Amino acid sequence: MALQYSDPQVFLFLSQILGKRVLNRRNKKIGKVMDLVVGLVEPYPIVTEVLLSPAGSRENYCVPWSRVLEMDRVLRVDDFSPEECRRPENREGEIFLKDTLLDKQVVDTNGAKVRRVNDLQFLKAHNLLHLVHVDVGFRGLMRRAGLVKPMDVFLQGLMDYTLADQFIAWKYIQPLSSPDLLKLKIAQDRLSQIHPADLADIIEDLDIHQRAAVFQSLDIETAAETLEETDPKIQVSLIKELKPEDASDIIEEMSLNEAADLLADLPKHQAEGILSEMEQDIAEDVKELLALPEEKAGGLMTTAFLSYPPTLTVGEALENIRREAEDMDFAYYVYVIDADEHLLGMMSLRELLVSPPEGKLEDFMDTRIVSVNIEEDEKEIANMFAKYGVMAIPVVDDDERMMGVIIFRNILEIIAPHLGK
Amino acid sequence: MAKRFFTRIRGRVSGVFQKRFWVTLSVFFALVGPGIITSNVDNDAGGITTYSLAGSEYGLSLLWILVPVTFALIIIQEMCARMGVVTGKGLSDLIRERFGAKITFYLMIILFLTNLGNTISEFAGVAASLEIFGISKYISVPIAAVFVWWLVIKWNYKSVEKVFLVACLFYLSYIVSGVMGDPDWGEIGTAFVQPDLRFDAAYLTMAIGIIGTTIAPWMQFYLQSSVVDKGVRTADYRYIRMDVIVGSFMVNVVAFFIIMLCAVTLFQNGIQIETAKDAALALEPMAGKYCSLLFAFGLLNASLFAASILPLSTAYTICEAFGWESSLDHKFVEAPQFYGLYSLTVFLGAGIILFPNFPLIWIMYYTQVLNGLLLPVVLVFMLLLVNDRRLMGQYANGWTMNVLSWVTVSALVILSLSMVVSLIQAG
Repeated sequence: MALQYSDPQVFLFLSQILGKRVLNRRNKKIGKVMDLVVGLVEPYPIVTEVLLSPAGSRENYCVPWSRVLEMDRVLRVDDFSPEECRRPENREGEIFLKDTLLDKQVVDTNGAKVRRVNDLQFLKAHNLLHLVHVDVGFRGLMRRAGLVKPMDVFLQGLMDYTLADQFIAWKYIQPLSSPDLLKLKIAQDRLSQIHPADLADIIEDLDIHQRAAVFQSLDIETAAETLEETDPKIQVSLIKELKPEDASDIIEEMSLNEAADLLADLPKHQAEGILSEMEQDIAEDVKELLALPEEKAGGLMTTAFLSYPPTLTVGEALENIRREAEDMDFAYYVYVIDADEHLLGMMSLRELLVSPPEGKLEDFMDTRIVSVNIEEDEKEIANMFAKYGVMAIPVVDDDERMMGVIIFRNILEIIAPHLGK
Repeated sequence: MAKRFFTRIRGRVSGVFQKRFWVTLSVFFALVGPGIITSNVDNDAGGITTYSLAGSEYGLSLLWILVPVTFALIIIQEMCARMGVVTGKGLSDLIRERFGAKITFYLMIILFLTNLGNTISEFAGVAASLEIFGISKYISVPIAAVFVWWLVIKWNYKSVEKVFLVACLFYLSYIVSGVMGDPDWGEIGTAFVQPDLRFDAAYLTMAIGIIGTTIAPWMQFYLQSSVVDKGVRTADYRYIRMDVIVGSFMVNVVAFFIIMLCAVTLFQNGIQIETAKDAALALEPMAGKYCSLLFAFGLLNASLFAASILPLSTAYTICEAFGWESSLDHKFVEAPQFYGLYSLTVFLGAGIILFPNFPLIWIMYYTQVLNGLLLPVVLVFMLLLVNDRRLMGQYANGWTMNVLSWVTVSALVILSLSMVVSLIQAG
């Protein structure tokens, strides 16, 4: 604490700068600090201008930071010409800190959480202010409330404890307050660092406008993965905001059964619009799944799985997997089916790798297959997963023809709510 | 000419009833909840006490005030609901973003204290109503607290909301008991058409009390958050407005029956009461045992209902303002502040009741003072926010709405501040 009062302050907070009196060279008060403008440069944004509220009742205006002579109790600025000033309007590559960050929500891309900004911390070096940290801690809140000293005294005296600051480095911060900030390249890089499952949680925490802005800033693949992890109700609201052609691009990237579930939740005309924009073959597969009830085996399964004839060699199968696996929802098991699609056996990827490449699938496949009927109830399926400890269970119709595969992940969504909080 | 007109009208009406009507009705029932629940919580233990006192001391002469109260309630709540739908953010969130951390911090402290005070009075209501049934408060209050806590922590909000809506239906018990009081409807009609205005201090204090118990600061926060939770799109806003209007009428219909029942029984027989429990007991010889029991049951329902919602609302509002995780969908460790605040409010609220000779009157007094100081600030903030075009766009208040809302808010601000002054003078 002592450091704060001795020589040059190294670190300082936005809350300490806002509201400071601004004097000119002759010690005459010309206004007070309303906001700071930073240029969004890497790694740390640099303060470029000060927004002044002039002493009279004139409009606020920005003064270049280069005119600032010293900053201590007050902000002293050199004389400046009117041409150097400008009205406070948003320009590209710049943000008003108080307006867009202070008290607003941001994404902490490192902790994958939505946080509220209590304060901003600058590093002062060579008369330049660099924005280095965002304060999201309770201590920052108490500083803003003007209670940090009483709190320190209280905690120190009572419990011999000092509440530490909770800072997040700027490079992990993604502002949310305007959609433009999310369109920046840097924003997309930052958001792409977050796992889609965490992105989905973040999106659920945001308000409707921020949700749409964040979601629309994601690339198609991340958007699809994120959408798969999002609450169905929010999925629908996100897709409703999009044009059918954009929505179809994202839905094509989702796994088939997730896509079918989502389309089933949409109003009919909208689902049809999206289906007509989708690639023909994917749309056909999704339509087939849409016809099946959601809580039965048919509604849980995907039809994008690998299947081969019994006479194919292991080597040929592996080569085919290398080409096709990308488009499959599940590629760890391959299924062996005859010309009439009857399920004959299965092999795991590991079994394929350790089998001789010239051997035929029918000689190495496992014929003791566990399968379920397309009408099987989801609870029974969950029991089978628990009993047999497999990663996926094939689904067959009444004639034992293979229709699709239920992946463990899809059954997890059904049992997870019953695992308790 | 007339024939064509009627055919057209009939076409309209049957059209409405054929398809659009059912669509409208089904959407309404999907979105219904926030407005009706919020309004009904206003008829909590404190509300019922105030209405009983108003009826027993001033007879039918205060009934007229329910008309402006309904109007004010609709004006205020409509703005909150609109802000929730358009911005997708809760009120404390908007206040924090617009007015900064310092003001928000102190506002939240006051809100916490008033909500805690109100929660105490709800548990006092639980204790009082069950004492009529012969159950000691040392049994009823702990059970009620655990029940409330369990209901909200262990269930998800969707199911809780359904329980709350059922609780709203139980308010009908007041309508039934009101009819059982066998009132003279002509006289009641006259009381509305030709209100018996008086200007003595006690009468005015009671009038302000009725307004104060119906329009409280916490409910703006709760309403807006639950509207946001519903994820209503701006296109469906009109259903939420319907919800708010229905709720505002419901709450005042219930208030009407309580005041009326106490007026035609207690007031006409010159019986003095001090609490809602007194009212329930005093009703028995005049209106019958069932009427008395229904009255007590209504009080229990209202107190339990509000005791569930107030702590929940407190935790939501504060966490939202400070950016802490706030959702019943999270685990305890993920949202410690949320569950902490919720549990603290429930158990502190219930615990204080169990102290022998605890100063309930004293707590209620300070709660009312804080409520009266907080309400003007919240209302003015709301008006500033709802007029912010950057936030609300085309949904900002129009000219007419601004006149209506500023008049309403000014009246409420003057009334709450004068109540604070009179309380401090009296205290």
